[in-house]
Amino acid sequence: MNDATRQARSPSDRARQEETRAKAMGHIVLNVTLAVLFIFLFLRAGSLPSSMWEPLGSGSFPRMVLAALVVFNGLIIATEVRHFIAMPALPAKALTGWCYQHRLAFGVLGLFTLFILAVPILGFRWSSLPFLIACQFLLGARHFRGILIAIAVALVMSFGIEALFRDVFTISLPRGLWN
Amino acid sequence: MEAFLSGVDQLFNLPTLLTMLVGVIAGVIAAAIPGFTITMAIVLTLPLTFTMPPLQGVATMLAVYIGGYTGGMISAALLGIPGTPSAVATTFDAFPMARKGEPGRALALGVWASFFGTLISSIVLIIAAPPLAMIAVKLGAWEYFSLVIFALTIVASLVGSSMIRGLMAGTLGLLIATIGADPLMGVTRFTFDIPVLSAGIPFLVVLIGIFAVSQLLQEVENPEQIKQGKALISSNIDFHPLAVLREVVMQPINLLRSSLVGVFIGAVPGAGGSIANLLAYDQAKKGSRTPEAFGEGCSEGVVASESGNSATSGGGLIPLIALGIPGSAVDAVLMASLMVHGIGIGPRLILDHADTVYGMFMAMFLASAMMLVVCLLSMRLFLKVTNVPKSIIVPVVLTCCVVGAFTLNNRVTDIYLLLGIGIFGYVLTKLDYPLAPLVLGVILGPIAETNLRRALMTNEDWTLFFTRPVSLMLLVLAGVSIIMAIRYRIKHQRRTTALE
Repeated sequence: MNDATRQARSPSDRARQEETRAKAMGHIVLNVTLAVLFIFLFLRAGSLPSSMWEPLGSGSFPRMVLAALVVFNGLIIATEVRHFIAMPALPAKALTGWCYQHRLAFGVLGLFTLFILAVPILGFRWSSLPFLIACQFLLGARHFRGILIAIAVALVMSFGIEALFRDVFTISLPRGLWN
Repeated sequence: MEAFLSGVDQLFNLPTLLTMLVGVIAGVIAAAIPGFTITMAIVLTLPLTFTMPPLQGVATMLAVYIGGYTGGMISAALLGIPGTPSAVATTFDAFPMARKGEPGRALALGVWASFFGTLISSIVLIIAAPPLAMIAVKLGAWEYFSLVIFALTIVASLVGSSMIRGLMAGTLGLLIATIGADPLMGVTRFTFDIPVLSAGIPFLVVLIGIFAVSQLLQEVENPEQIKQGKALISSNIDFHPLAVLREVVMQPINLLRSSLVGVFIGAVPGAGGSIANLLAYDQAKKGSRTPEAFGEGCSEGVVASESGNSATSGGGLIPLIALGIPGSAVDAVLMASLMVHGIGIGPRLILDHADTVYGMFMAMFLASAMMLVVCLLSMRLFLKVTNVPKSIIVPVVLTCCVVGAFTLNNRVTDIYLLLGIGIFGYVLTKLDYPLAPLVLGVILGPIAETNLRRALMTNEDWTLFFTRPVSLMLLVLAGVSIIMAIRYRIKHQRRTTALE
């Protein structure tokens, strides 16, 4: 048991410590990944062509930005490693619990991803219609009245929007492979 | 006087007044939908004006323009998603205010601030168009770069709880802006032959993805609230515009300063509402007696952002009318509409078509008055959005975002980018990164790079940044801005420590 664990007397203190540790872990994973990416891009930017007409060339500005990003990432990693070490270890099922708590957000994100991937294939109308119905169902439109409203909203926002853009604004939304 | 009366006569007839009214309503609605921008609304209006007399056409488009600047505030306040890039700073205080149960106050503050901002900018436009335009176009690459450096110091005000994470987000925005074709040589950078990246990452896709997708995903994080069919804001509809008018008028310095920032930024070609609202917000925070209240639902923040962005409408017309140089994409479309009617744009515009120019001045006043009436009458309707359950709002707004991202360039790849940026934005939000500096970086990145390289291409002597008076003045302002931000931070930390 380290100092932090001993000091955390109330459940809210413990929850705060767990959150700090989890966030520190998230920062370390994200910032290490980004730092590697930025170092790679920094090296890559060095091979961008320069011009005889200008002293900077196309790689200089990105390199300045990338150098700053590598430094900021380093500072964040150093800070977060300190937080990570200072806080007690997370309970075994912390990640599973967090994912379960965020299940609706992940569900909506999954449906949104499917919708976007389906747009070029099925077209806007036929991809947005099931997305709108499924998303509303997922978020609680389970009873007869709710489902009826969900279908009406979905029809207006898919077929209605497509018709509005086609006929009024003369903009064609994606029609899919079969139209 | 004769030209003025002729302009007024052309403006005050039923068809023109009707099309202007429709324009204001269309502008408000279009900008209120996340993903739809004022530029898009103006471009869609352009073909409809071809059959109208010149002044009617331009007045209608000005009405859409002014309505749009106010409309962007509606989704910023009610959903936390800026309807247009010029409403980013409005989300900082209007959304928390709405969340605290005062959505009506947030909207009323925005409407009045927009009205006064447009009014002040129209007055400046009439009085000072020629001298201001001369100053604006005399700015060289050195001054532009220094202006961007000054604007970048706003990041210090937007960083939230961690300075380093804010700086990281701002710099990340600068990096995102470098993806795609190099602005001067046309060389593609960091695209790795991936078709989705070949055209770069459009700024508006970043804005929609970062704010809308991540905000909406956060809205559905709590299954208990969703199960109860909770709306975005659970409160009664309370809208008292006259009481709020007093609150706005009691902030004359904030209102005037923010409007003048908007006029100046609008008059500088290439800048615009997307920078003005952030700059005005930053200046208001620095000049406030209670800077710690900013970001928590402070009325000064809403007034600054909304008057600042609305004032760019008049500011943008300054170089257009005085010199024939459009200050922004919207001004370029306005210019096109005049040219379609055979009106030559340039320094002689005011001499050759004085009636049209006076008519445009009057149209600005008229459109802002119409915007005020339309908004005051319709805000109760918009406020009903807050009572719609999240189960309907979230998928509907996500669909609007897809439509908006696609119609920007008619590219399916932009909606893939929207998804990717949305997920990235959500991850950043979960790790407490502020998103506004990232958007600021994406806006300012291309302007900074282009002008830095152009300045050094013209003359390799970098000391020119410090020896040209306007450039030096802007750099000094940037320095002062940073010192003030650090001073505020130290003070704030001391106060927090003392309270603990």
